[in-house]
Amino acid sequence: MGKKPKEKRSYDRLRLNSGHHRRILLVSVLLGLLAFVPVGVRLYALMIESYDYYAGLALRNQTRTTTVTANRGDIYDRNMNILATSVSVENVYLDPHELKQSKANIPEISAFLGELLEKDPDWIAEQAADTTKRYKQVGARVDEETAAKIRAYINEKDVSGIHLEPTAQRVYPFASLAAQVIGFTNAGGDGSEGVEAAYDSFLTGSAGKVITTKGNNEMDMPFSYENYISSRQGDSVILTLDTTIQACLEKQMEAAMARYDVQNGAFGLVMNCKTGEILAMATLGSYDPNNCLELADTGAADQVEQLRLAYLAQSEGSEAYEAGKKAYEEALSAARLKQWRNRVLSDGYEPGSTFKVLTMAAALDCGAIDLNTSFHCSGAEQIPGRSQLLHCWRSAGHGAEQTPQALQNSCNIAFAHIALKLGGARFYEYIEKFGILEKTGIDLAGESKGVFFDKALVTNTDKWGTASLTSGSFGQTFKITPLQLVRAISSVVNGGNLLEPYIVSEIVDADGNTVMKAEPTVVRQTISKETSDTMRTLIRSVVTEGTAKNANVAGFSIGGKTGTSEKIDVFDENGQRVQDKIVSFVGIAPMEDPEYIVLVALDTPSRETGIYISGGVMAAPTVGAVMADILPYLGVERTFSETDIAGQEIVMEDLTGLTAADAERKLKGIQLTAKFSGTGETVTGQIPAAGQTVPGGSEVLVYLGQEPEQRSVVVPDFTGMNRQQASDTAGALGLYILVKGNDEISAAVTVTAQSEAKDTQVPVGTTITLEFTDTAARD
Amino acid sequence: MAAERDLHAKENRRFRTLRAGESVDYPFLFLVLLLLTVGLAMLYSASYAQSEYDTSYEISTKYLQKQAVCAAIGLVAMYFFSRIPVSLWHKFAWLLYGVSIVLLLSVLVIGEEVNGARRWINLAGIQFQPSEIAKFTMIVLFARLTRLFGQEAKQFRYGVMGFGMALMGILVPLALEKHLSAIMLMGMVAVVMMFVAGTSPKWLLAGAGAAAVFVVVYISFMGYAGDRVTAWLHPELDPGDTGYQILQSLYAIGSGGLFGLGYGKSRQKYLYLPFQYNDYIFAICCEELGLVGAVAIIALFAVTILRGYWIALHARDRFSTVLAAGLTTLIAVQTILNLCVVTNLLPSTGIALPFFSYGGTALAVNLGEMGIVLSISRHRNQRKIQEE
Repeated sequence: MGKKPKEKRSYDRLRLNSGHHRRILLVSVLLGLLAFVPVGVRLYALMIESYDYYAGLALRNQTRTTTVTANRGDIYDRNMNILATSVSVENVYLDPHELKQSKANIPEISAFLGELLEKDPDWIAEQAADTTKRYKQVGARVDEETAAKIRAYINEKDVSGIHLEPTAQRVYPFASLAAQVIGFTNAGGDGSEGVEAAYDSFLTGSAGKVITTKGNNEMDMPFSYENYISSRQGDSVILTLDTTIQACLEKQMEAAMARYDVQNGAFGLVMNCKTGEILAMATLGSYDPNNCLELADTGAADQVEQLRLAYLAQSEGSEAYEAGKKAYEEALSAARLKQWRNRVLSDGYEPGSTFKVLTMAAALDCGAIDLNTSFHCSGAEQIPGRSQLLHCWRSAGHGAEQTPQALQNSCNIAFAHIALKLGGARFYEYIEKFGILEKTGIDLAGESKGVFFDKALVTNTDKWGTASLTSGSFGQTFKITPLQLVRAISSVVNGGNLLEPYIVSEIVDADGNTVMKAEPTVVRQTISKETSDTMRTLIRSVVTEGTAKNANVAGFSIGGKTGTSEKIDVFDENGQRVQDKIVSFVGIAPMEDPEYIVLVALDTPSRETGIYISGGVMAAPTVGAVMADILPYLGVERTFSETDIAGQEIVMEDLTGLTAADAERKLKGIQLTAKFSGTGETVTGQIPAAGQTVPGGSEVLVYLGQEPEQRSVVVPDFTGMNRQQASDTAGALGLYILVKGNDEISAAVTVTAQSEAKDTQVPVGTTITLEFTDTAARD
Repeated sequence: MAAERDLHAKENRRFRTLRAGESVDYPFLFLVLLLLTVGLAMLYSASYAQSEYDTSYEISTKYLQKQAVCAAIGLVAMYFFSRIPVSLWHKFAWLLYGVSIVLLLSVLVIGEEVNGARRWINLAGIQFQPSEIAKFTMIVLFARLTRLFGQEAKQFRYGVMGFGMALMGILVPLALEKHLSAIMLMGMVAVVMMFVAGTSPKWLLAGAGAAAVFVVVYISFMGYAGDRVTAWLHPELDPGDTGYQILQSLYAIGSGGLFGLGYGKSRQKYLYLPFQYNDYIFAICCEELGLVGAVAIIALFAVTILRGYWIALHARDRFSTVLAAGLTTLIAVQTILNLCVVTNLLPSTGIALPFFSYGGTALAVNLGEMGIVLSISRHRNQRKIQEE
């Protein structure tokens, strides 16, 4: 009993007195308590204060986001023809890290993929060697068949490290047709240019996402979560464009470019002038959006190739090499931008005389002139306030004219006087109303608004003179876009409604529900309905009486205005203004109730062809040809008057077995006359045979009791003959001629094309279509 | 008093085979077993993903199995050492020390290379790290020397030179192995033990100062270590390479929050955090158990360490006291260094968390050492049996 407390005391003494024990006590406090304090504080900071930060980083670390791509919507024309669509293709890529880990046979894989993907196997081996990377694309957009072969190979050889990922390729079934309108998608699949760009947000849809937590090295994690954001398929876009009309327009423009050896492309447009719907819009030379980087114009491609070869010939790395390379790259990029450019809405041009329609409409609308206002054109005149002598395109002058003749003759001097009567303020006011100072608001990317005079320049004639006002009145010394012009002229003929042109009529989602439907939009009233009615008559008379006779299409009431403009801002290498011209024509049909407006402009027809360079000679017949193609297609009724009966195509009926009287009656019903030969009771033969087409008003040979003549004739060269000469020549050979184009009987209107080549053998009674053009038609 | 006597009698009956006739310190035993249990549970969770990955999803207990075997061996060792009289260690201290040096040196010749470091030795099919043995023998020798030097420890020739030379015997072979973490650990344990032994703190501070100067010089001349310091201070500068390890550790800790993601639900262990089942196991503990669990584990360590020092303070003789204090210090220093590294308070050193981190030798040795502490605890409050 007594021992224990003693021991206890001795122990206590030991503990208190021993240096060891005191130090151990100190150490225990230090290592058993204090040392953990900083750790605890640190943990509190990390786990509580910075919880959100670290938890966020950890989550980002652990989650994998898989993108579910949305299919891009299609682009249709108004008849639901597919203009742009997407097809499934696959990208092939290597995971060099994985290839290394799985000890894959790189030479064999390289050889296999190299052959299949048409790539250098060494290059593929090089990609596979970059083991720091997890993604090396070796094949872009391979088709399903190739992808299947690669899959089979992967399975067969049990390779890990070759992967395929689905992607989409944009396909344009109509190739270059309306290429600048439709546009294309870039390498990333985003729309660039045209509708593809303007409606990209609709077409793209939104990609979906699958977010999953995933272990490193793709380990599955039992305690994971998944978040699925569904994708929305892109909407499809239905255009107001009609591929048939577009094809007609491009075909006729191409034909004109070939015939007149046009140097610098052409642009044209077909619009519904009541609604503003764009039916066709073309810029030539075009390109194939399926391969948008390739230069379609062989001339431009050659030039660029020359530059490429030139710099490659230099020693690599030298200054000349770098400079040459830069020049090549710039030229290539410029050429690409040029072929992608939609000139109808992106580029201004000088409208020339086509603009006179607007000047006259303004002057009539505000009462500055009336239909009986008289003008006198002596060929040249000193206009007050204008230093330069004003020349009319016809140096002999037009003599005494009234308002209708001023437009029909496209007389600059008369228009200068109209402008003076109108005055700068009113002129500018109408220019504003016609939308010349603003963009049209078309739903396409890249629209510009041209360059017009400052207001003061035309209104303050005291200070600036009348040069701008008078030149402006006939469409010179300023630039507007073709679309601005067409829209303004539409308002002149449609009762004064300035429209907002549009290319997309409807947007539908993937399920076919309408997302958006376009409606015609009237921006403002430009001129009164009465002025519009007057203008329609005047514009029609330009084709019937004036400079645009070559635009005539038998049976249709076409009106329009020619234009020939010099490029004032293009200079040659010596600083001289080049004499290049843009010839154009704006045609409208039918003039009684205008529905369609067509513009064609040819940039720089060659001087070498010997054909007189003017809108009347070149652009008017081109628009006429477009009209002849599209108006029947659009269901515009064709009515032939006495004068243009020779342009009507009549299908010959079978007269066999009829009596002479019956045959004559029947022929009269289809506007043909009969010439009988033989004395039989009933018809036994006819030339031309049933089913053939003949011009209206032709004389048909009807055989009574006789067999028709069976012989061939050699087609002569009609080119250069006037109407009378052609008619006589054909009559003598037993051929019929169908008159196309300018139907004026005049020495100046001659054949410029014939449907059967000369020296061809044809049966007697064949109809030859002859195109008549006034080759001297000015302006 | 009667009750107390009865208790002693009861204990004497239960441990009648024991010479001392007293029971071990149950709180300490309980704490060690609790640490081992929690440690094994956390090891299972932390190594789960790695095990599945290593075995192509066939076995999830690859690491747990090996660790459990070593834990069993360790428990046997703990039981065995708890029954070995402390005097035996006193007797064989020099011999053990000599054997350790031989083993450490032999590693340089016949050692096996694992993870680029030649630190393992294969003895009769059992792979182990001699440095683990060396840590223990150094502590034993230091306790022996403390008793030997007695009051003389205050003198430079004993307190500094004597301990210092004994320390060098271990540190030089470790330096040849380039086993930096062990050198650091040994150095710190040695400093603590010398302090306990009575070496004047001014010499210890001077030594610590010299070590600090050495570290600074070392870092400025060795690019590699300099990078390590940069990675420590600014891990976010190179998140893909040098900063990866510590950033992943911080992600794991930080995303634990107050209550954690739940046991077994760590995401970082899915191969994001390297060494998630050994040096960085505590980060997984934080992620799964939250601040609450992490603090509980730290508290468990702290209480165990305090109890270890309590046993040292209550040991019956100076050798036992210093030995228990040294072994407790070894656990304490390892724990503190590991926690500081995992939480990026210190740059990465490669020191495992006792009872938690994967590593068979270390676990078995640690448990064996705890057996010695338990053995010391049997003889508290008794007259010193081998006082000089």
